[in-house]
Formats: sequence, structure tokens, C-alpha cells
Amino acid sequence: MSPRPKPVDAVIIGYGWTGAIMAKTLTDAGLSVVALERGPMRDTSPDFSYPQVADELRHGIRGEYWQPLARETVTIRHRLDQEAVPYRQYGSFVLGNGVGGAGTHWNGQQWRASPEDLRFRSHVLERYGAQAIGPDMTIQDYPVTFEELEPHFDHFEKVAGVSGRAGNLRGTLMPGGNPFEGPRSDAFPNPPVADIESSIRFARAARELGYNAFPMPAANASRAYTNPYGVRMGPCNLCGFCERFGCFLYSKASPQTTILPILKHRTNLEVRPNAQVTRILLDSDGKRAVGAAYVDEKGDLIEQRADLVILSAFQMHNVRLLLLSGIGEPYDPATGKGVVGKNYAYQMVSSVSAYFDKDVHLNPFIGAGAGGQQVIDDFNSDHFDHTGLGFIGGSLIFAGATGARPIEQMNLPPDAPRWGAGWKAAAAAHYGHSMSVATMGAVMSYRDAYLDLDPTYRDALGQPLLRMTFNWHENEYRLAAHANAKARSIVEAMKPKSIGVNLIKPGENYDVRRYQSTHTTGGAIMGADPATSVINRYSQSWDVPNLFVMGASAFPQNLGYNPTGLLAGLAYFSAAEIRDRYLKAPGPLVDA
Amino acid sequence: MTPIAKKAWLVGGAAAVLGGAVLTATALSDRAAGDRRETLSQPVTPALVARGAYVARLADCAACHSVPDRPDYSGGLAMALPIGRVMTSNITPDKTYGIGGWSFGDFDRAVRYGVNRRDQSLYPAMPYVAYARMSRADTEALYAYFSAGVAPAATPAPRNEILFPLSMRFPLTLWRWLFAKAPEAIAPPSAADPAVARGAYIVEGPGHCGDCHTPRGFALQVKARSAAEGPAFLAGASIDGWSAPSLRAGGQGGLGDWTSQDIADFLRHGGNARGAAFGAMAPAIEHGTARLTPGDAEAIGRFLKSLPKPPGRAFAYDAAEARRLKAGELSSPGAQAYLDNCAACHRSDGRGYSGVFPPLAGNPAVVDERAESIVRIALFGGQTPLTPSSPAQFSMPGFADRLDDREMAQLLTYVRTSWGNQARPVSRGEVARGRRASAGR
Amino acid sequence: MVSGCAPSAAPQLDDREPQFFTRAEWRFVNAWVDRLIPPDATGPGAIEAGVPGFIDLQLAGPYGAGAYWYMSGPFHPDAPATLGYQHPHTPRALYRQAIAGLDADVRRRHGKAFAALSPDARDAYLKLVEADGVGLEGVSASAFFDLAWRNTREGYFSDPIHGGNRGMAAWRMVGFPGARADFTDWMDKPGAPYPLGPVSIGGRKFG
Repeated sequence: MSPRPKPVDAVIIGYGWTGAIMAKTLTDAGLSVVALERGPMRDTSPDFSYPQVADELRHGIRGEYWQPLARETVTIRHRLDQEAVPYRQYGSFVLGNGVGGAGTHWNGQQWRASPEDLRFRSHVLERYGAQAIGPDMTIQDYPVTFEELEPHFDHFEKVAGVSGRAGNLRGTLMPGGNPFEGPRSDAFPNPPVADIESSIRFARAARELGYNAFPMPAANASRAYTNPYGVRMGPCNLCGFCERFGCFLYSKASPQTTILPILKHRTNLEVRPNAQVTRILLDSDGKRAVGAAYVDEKGDLIEQRADLVILSAFQMHNVRLLLLSGIGEPYDPATGKGVVGKNYAYQMVSSVSAYFDKDVHLNPFIGAGAGGQQVIDDFNSDHFDHTGLGFIGGSLIFAGATGARPIEQMNLPPDAPRWGAGWKAAAAAHYGHSMSVATMGAVMSYRDAYLDLDPTYRDALGQPLLRMTFNWHENEYRLAAHANAKARSIVEAMKPKSIGVNLIKPGENYDVRRYQSTHTTGGAIMGADPATSVINRYSQSWDVPNLFVMGASAFPQNLGYNPTGLLAGLAYFSAAEIRDRYLKAPGPLVDA
Repeated sequence: MTPIAKKAWLVGGAAAVLGGAVLTATALSDRAAGDRRETLSQPVTPALVARGAYVARLADCAACHSVPDRPDYSGGLAMALPIGRVMTSNITPDKTYGIGGWSFGDFDRAVRYGVNRRDQSLYPAMPYVAYARMSRADTEALYAYFSAGVAPAATPAPRNEILFPLSMRFPLTLWRWLFAKAPEAIAPPSAADPAVARGAYIVEGPGHCGDCHTPRGFALQVKARSAAEGPAFLAGASIDGWSAPSLRAGGQGGLGDWTSQDIADFLRHGGNARGAAFGAMAPAIEHGTARLTPGDAEAIGRFLKSLPKPPGRAFAYDAAEARRLKAGELSSPGAQAYLDNCAACHRSDGRGYSGVFPPLAGNPAVVDERAESIVRIALFGGQTPLTPSSPAQFSMPGFADRLDDREMAQLLTYVRTSWGNQARPVSRGEVARGRRASAGR
Repeated sequence: MVSGCAPSAAPQLDDREPQFFTRAEWRFVNAWVDRLIPPDATGPGAIEAGVPGFIDLQLAGPYGAGAYWYMSGPFHPDAPATLGYQHPHTPRALYRQAIAGLDADVRRRHGKAFAALSPDARDAYLKLVEADGVGLEGVSASAFFDLAWRNTREGYFSDPIHGGNRGMAAWRMVGFPGARADFTDWMDKPGAPYPLGPVSIGGRKFG
């Protein structure tokens, strides 16, 4: 028999960024809340303490903060007619684990969506016509507008202490900022982090070519800062241990450094780490969630009853839990019917490297996940005319360095020997004198790119793994080649000694061995119609109205931006509606 | 073991030794033990209870009578003495296990006179020497709070673990006679500035600041119980492996050029632009001073600033070392160690980041003549207090594993002599002692 | 210490006592990584940097047991390479089986152990294995090549706390300051040569 803890008002599944946002809102409203987190408790001290955190092997390679794949992974195949095989070793993406989730070891590149991203299908139809959307593309509009999300973007930027330069302040273009961003109600709370040498060179070259370079909006505080919750952050020192690491300086925004301190001593919140949810519990007619079942660290299966269920795990885990719990109709690629698992998307990255002489000191180890970098947004979203280009969507193009970790980020020219004395000579010659300009591009949603449960492979608890069916399509190859050519022109303007290009070519399959990005999206998408979406504009399940699903699983297709800013904005938007409307009259917030 | 418990170790041990020589003490009449027939002079009203709650904060009753995983104020903190372990008592209004059956007179005798209901003297870990300076009005409010403002907890405090004959209390009585004054014999502090008088009252009375910050004499009694008793009052002391800095303004090791507002900020927020609380001060802030009214915090600042200054040159910042470090010029092994271990947070200019990482330049805890605190925090790290106004707690990692005694001594000497700091060097032996003293903590 | 009977050809051995490898495997691994990163004037070779000892420690621990990988079957080693590692071998098993197979293969081809080959002959053999030119029974030689090269770079460039990168010499060679993690004083000097040497997690420092 499962022990039954006391029922609570709300249970939160997954205690990362969106879990923390919802915990704050719901406990503010006086609800009793239990947060279930599959991984361990984590905090800046002792988990991210200097010097132990500055360990590339332990954190950057072995991934001490990541979800242990030995217990649970996903399976991947490129096509519907293939047998999927497990993602046995980390490569293409890394999954978070523990309190704070991937929000502890992210880079902190903090973006809002462009206004047109949120009504993407309509925008493309209006500007380019129906033929611009491929027959197998299943892109949709978000059921929420930029204007509606803007106050929440703004709030999250203040919570996270984002450093940057405004480009469009209430409609006025600001020099040195991003001229393509939607109008913002307020400037960033902190000025940009100081540019590093590689970004300075990138920005200069980009401006020579007429592009609009500006500082990467960074959730790395550029100065000592107090956020709206009274939580104090330290200033970024470009230590080089952001990406894949926790911040020892209290400078990179994470739930731990921005929200969790004020929740720690709330008596109406209990955080249970090492609690892996296996199912969302439903009442007999399946229309109402009554809690969550989880396995605790002793291996006991426990049922936590609650009136409100917040599913705020990572994108893939949200989808898997919906499927395991039988909530919503699973997507069927053969018929195009069903919604859960539909519209899985990713991002396509490329880069152009510049190799300089030994007297050019790039000091690439000086850097942060986002702070100190420069970026252009000229070729993202629909900031440029796509007529005749043969693709829709776009890419960020940016430069900087996230620490130049020598095991993984050794950037050598393409003609350098792969090993041996020649490899060593190349490493010695180029480590401090090379840099990359990267592109990070949108991936559309397609009828044959989706998530479901694997028929063969199981996790340590005996439950089916999530299966990913995904490959690149024509739109992405073209989009990446376009962005890569722009990046190349910028690199050429920097006049390096030599250049190296890293670009996925048409016909090449998705390669899970190479890290690309952890910006996986979709599978529990939001929309205006229950027939084509899992959740409504308030992230509320169409099928089970006392269930809300947070995170990038809501994105109908991916963007050329990092997802955290958008998913945090959606979470705050949802939280406000739950607080102001749902709690007063629980029920559907949008009529189906 | 908590710092308070260690303090009890010292005081209780000394009392036992001292008292052992005097066998007739219990036969003497006890002039200074109060009167258990005293009653409240006013009804218990919500306002009185609320005032009492505030006095309980001032007096930091929770520091010893509340422990994690037990109901608030139900006692159970173990104070280790050389003769055994003394447990703090349950002071909730529970009739069986707490003080629910106590009259005001019983309560007053314990708090201000240091005598329990069985006429036994309390171990002076209970700071009744300072509490004796508490007004009758505040004591009544405190009684009202512990009668009506605290939930009764039917939780027995663990029994003391002291075997006869060492459990005899008469030596404590002798100690009490020698070193404690009865409330009747104490004039309330007076000053032209009412804020200074209020500050003196809090510091000398309920706040019992001198219990840690005033040096102790041969029987481990505080050398001065109030400002009026001389310059030893709050002149800084070593206690339980920490050095409690001098709170007297002036000189390098004291509060230097802190303003009364700096002091108030420190007490209420756990830190200010010039330093951050750590060690034994952190819980004192969390339980107590973080809840001070702005007026009381400012009053404490004004009082401390009014104390006569000891001689000594005030701190003056010197930018030369910061310039050298910034250029990568390392003048000594200590400078190298500083750059490798400390500069990320405390900066090469020694100034830290306001409100996040405390400065080391001109920081009283850094340049204190007694180096125990800086040795200990460098070895084992620390954490800033959690207060309602500063929910972010910053932790400093310990460097005991990264630096040996010689390297640590070089580092601390460098820190104590750079950027205008002019404190004596730290020896390898001091580091070794700090390591040993904290082993098994 | 010099191994084997052909001192002119065989490399020095890492001076630590292996915990996982047998003596024969230890000689093989030393000789193997010695060619992946040979010693020369540019910087330390893999053996000098302590790579063999690093790999041995890794294999003796949870990493070697496959604790970081999803190791449930069924296994499809013939799946497209882009879908990642699909062999049934843990790192330990991969090293153990591949080393046995490769050493036997070298004996068939050259009549002596791999460790006894000349540097040039070892280079040639590594290239053959890298190009999947050696077929072994029950284990993929090229998968071993890939893993050994990955582990060699890990041992070369990771913090000395893990047993490799001795003296932080590999960091010094490329100019990586290790666990320094503090560059505030350089934020206003982009492009200036960085003068400070590396520091390790354990606090060891050189220049």
C-alpha cells in the first residue's frame, strides 16, 4: 500500500524555473503546495562552491548536474520506418536534474520572442502566402500576443537581473540595442556585461557590414543587484564556468539565485527532492487530476493528492508524463490526429571559426554563458525579407566565448590532424587565438517530427522511455546555410589567418553525438483549438482543467531564440491568470 | 556545539572551580534573589504580549531556548560543561514541562536574578547578569509573551547530564553574588540624547552584547557590565574559537569609521557596505536584531558611537596594492594565494561588492587583534544571516583543504596588511590551532 | 622505468600502479596514448601528463562500470552512427576486450606486442584502427579508438584532481588558467595578454 501524505491545494511536478515561478505565485496566494523534484536538493552552497565547481570533467563532461541517463533516457530515430535506439551517452542535448533544473547550468542567454514569432503562421501567410509553408509543416500561431506577454517578460528580466541594452523602449529605437525587438516597457535592469575581445571583433566587423550588433541579453548580473523579491545577486566576473556549471558568484540567474531564497522558509510550501513522478492521478472519468504518484528515494510509490496540478518538468518529461498518465489524445503521425507529442522541434546550429595569429590574444577562457557576448538579430524571425530564399524563420548570429573549456571547446582548424604531434601543435597554436561566430536557427514543426512512448526500451522503474522521431527538413538546411553565409561574411571581415566552417549540409541526418542545443520544444503545445493543441493560452490542459503544463513543450514550433525568456513569460502569464481568475472559480479559463 | 554552548562551558567551568573552595556559601542568606510573590502590575493585553514578543527578540531568547526540530521555545539545546551537559529549559507556557505554572515573581527571579524556582542559581550561560538591567516593564511584557504569546509545548526538555557531586549549585551562587548585581542596584542608563540612552539600555540590558564582545576576567566574569564600568566594556573578546570584535569606535580593530546608520544596517540586514555578519553573530541577527525597529537599531548605533574611543590610527584606504594585483604583479606568496582563492569575490582592491561580498579592506573582523575569526572563516567558510530584508544568503567556502598552515598564514597576513589594513601578522601556529579547535565541529 | 625488451621503441610508463589494468594492458594503454599525444618540445606527451593513470582511475570507478550511460538492451551496434554509441560494452569492457583483440591482432601481424612496436609502426596501426580497418570478434576497434582518444583528451586537459594533467602542463601549454575563475581585473583590458598561470582545484600553482 502506498503511504498517503496529507492532501494539499497544489502539487508542482518539477522544481526548475517554471516550478519556482508557480510555487511563488501559489504560496503567495495562500495555497498549501508540495513541489516534487526528481533530482536532489541543490543550492549554491555547497553544490556550486568554488573551487570544486570549476571542474570541466566532472560537470562539463560527466555531467554531475544532469539527469543520469543510466536510469532514464529517450530513444531517437530519424524516420517513422526506423527502429528508435536509446540516447545512451550525452551529446546533442543535456537534461537537467535536481532543484533548479537545467536553470542552474544554463548559459543565461535571455531572450524574448519577436512579436511575429507568436503569430508565426498568420504572419507568414500574410507576408509570403500559403506556398511559403511546406505541405508537411504543422506550424501554428501562439494563442497569446507579444503585448500580453510583455509585462511578464519585463518582470522576469527584473527577477533574473538581466544585463543588456534596450533596443526598442516603448517604441523608440535606442542606439546600441536590438532594433528588431518588440517594444519593451522598460530597459533591462542591469547594463551589459563588459564585452570580451572576440565579441568586440565580431561587433566591429558586423557593423562594417551594416548589421546591428548589440550585447547579448544576459542573465548574468553585471553588478551587485537586488531583484524585486529582495534577493541579492553578485556581479559576473566572466569566470568561464556558466554553461554546464552552477554559478559560485550568485551572478547567473537560476531559481536558486533569484526566487528560491524567499520560498525557503514558507510554511505552506514543502519541497520534496528525489521524488520522481510516474503518473498524474486522475479521477474515475479522467476529467480531473487528483494528484501525482511518485517514487521516493527509498523506492516507495507515494500518492500526493492535490486539487491543482502544475506540470513543470523539462519539455520532454512533460510530454512523457502526459502520455504515461493517459491525458489527452496521443498524436498519430499517420492521420495527423491527436495532440500529445505533436510538433516536436529543435534548433539547428552552425558556426564559422576564425583562426588568428599568435599575437592576437582572445583570452577565450574569459567569458560567460551570455555576458560579454555580442549578437545580431538581423537574420532572425522575419526581420529580413525571405522572398525567394526558400525558407521561413531565422537565426541569431553571435560571438563570444563561454569559457573555452579545453577538453570540449578546443577549436582547431579543419585541416588540423585529429591526433598525434600535429594535433598537439595545433592545440598549442590556436587555443588562445581562435574564436567562433555561431548561428542558432529556428526549426519548424512537421507532421513527422513528434514524441511518443517507445515500444521497447524502459527506464529504471520499468516505464517506457519517450521516443523522439526527428530529422532535419529542407527549411532548416536552407535557413542554416543562409545564416552561416552571413556569419562567414562577418568572420571574413575580421580578417583572420584562416577560417573553418561547421554547417549541416542538405541530406545530413540529425547527429545525436554532437552537442547542438538543449532547446527542445513542443509535444504539449498551446493553441486556440483543442483539436490541434494540448493546452490553452493560460497553459491549462484542455482535457483536465485543473492541470497546467509549463515550459517549452508549449511552443508550437521553435524560434531562433533561446527558450527560457519565452517560457518564463508564459509561466508568469499563466500564474497571474491562475491567481486572479482560476483560484476564484476553478474550471476552464478558455471555452473549448 | 553552538557558540553559546561553548560560552557556557567557560563560564560554568570557572564557576565550578571557584565555588569549590567555598563550602559555606549555601548557608548565607541570599540578598539578591528577588521575590517570588511579585505579581504583574498590569493586565495581560494583546499590546503587552506584542511588546513582550519584541523584548524576546531584543533578548534573543530563541538563540538558546529554540532548537531545530523541536517546538519553539521548548528548550533542549545542550550546553556542554566540563562536568557534563546542561540542557536549556522549556520556557513555553506548558503547565507540566514549561513555565506555565510560574508566577511573575518566579519568572523575574530567573530572568533578572539568576535563580530558579528551587532557589538554585542558574548557570550563567543564562545572561541574567545583563538581563538584570532590563526594566521591570520589559520584564512584565516578556512574562506576558511567554504566558499568552507562545504556544505551550508539552515537550520535556532533556535532563541535565551532570552527576553528583558536580551537580551541586552552590558554587554558582557564590559566583552570582560576586559578579551579578540585583536589578534594584542598577540605575537606568542616562544620556543627554534619549536615543543614546535607549541604545545603552538595549546593549547593556536585554541585548546582552557584552556576553560575547566584552573581555572576561579571572573567573570568566565580564570585565565591565556597562559603559560606566570602564573601557573594557565591548572592547572585544575571544569566545568559542571566534573573535568578537571591539564595538568601540576608533582604531583599526573597532567599528572604525562606521556610522550609526552602518551599525543599524548591519544589525537589521546582516551586513552593510563595510562588512557582513558571520559565525556566532549570524544567528544573533537572524533570531534577534533583524527584527529591531529602525529606531532601536539606530539607537544602538548612536550608543556605540558614543563610547570613548581607544587610541589608534583609523583605517585609511591605500590603492597601491590593488594597482599591483590588477597588473598581475604579485609581491608575495600571500598575494598569489589571495589572487588564487579570494579575489573572485573580495576583489583585488579588497573592497568586495557592496551588500554581496564583504570588503576585507578596513573590515573590523579582518584587522581584529584577535585573529580567531578570520582564521576560522578562511579555513571553514561561513554564511551570511538570513533576514526578512535580505533573503539571499551568501556562503563562503572554506579553504582548509586548499591551503596548508603556512600558505594560510601568508594569505591572512597579506590580507591584514594590504589596502591600508595594519594588523599584526598571523602565524602558522594560529592557523594550526584554528584547524584543531574546529576539528569535529 | 622502461618497459619491455626494446627500449628504443617502447615508451616510458606512467609511474603509478594500475588499479584496473593488468600489466599487459597497462603497457598497451601507455603505448597507445603515447602516440595519441606524443612527447615533444611543444608540450607534454600523454604519459608525462599522467593520462594512463587517469584512464585507469576512471575505468576503476563508476564511469568504467558504465554508470553514466544507458546500458539496457536490446543493442543495435549497426544503427546509423549519427544515433550514437549503441555497443553493449561498458568502458571497462570496451577497453578490456578491444585491447586483448588488438594486441593479438598486432602479434599476428608483427610477431610482437603492440607496446614493442616502433613509434612509426604504432602510428600506422592507430590510423588503421581509426579508419575501422581492424575487425575484432565481438567488439568494435574503432569504438575503442574513439573512446580512448576521448579519454586521452580528458586526462590531458582535466583538473589534476582526477589524476591526469600532471603539473598542469597541458593547461600551461595552451594558456588555459584552469580553475582561476576570476577575470574581473581583465574585463577592461580585452585583448591584452593574460599573464597569470593556471591554478588547480587543489590549489597547486605554477608561475
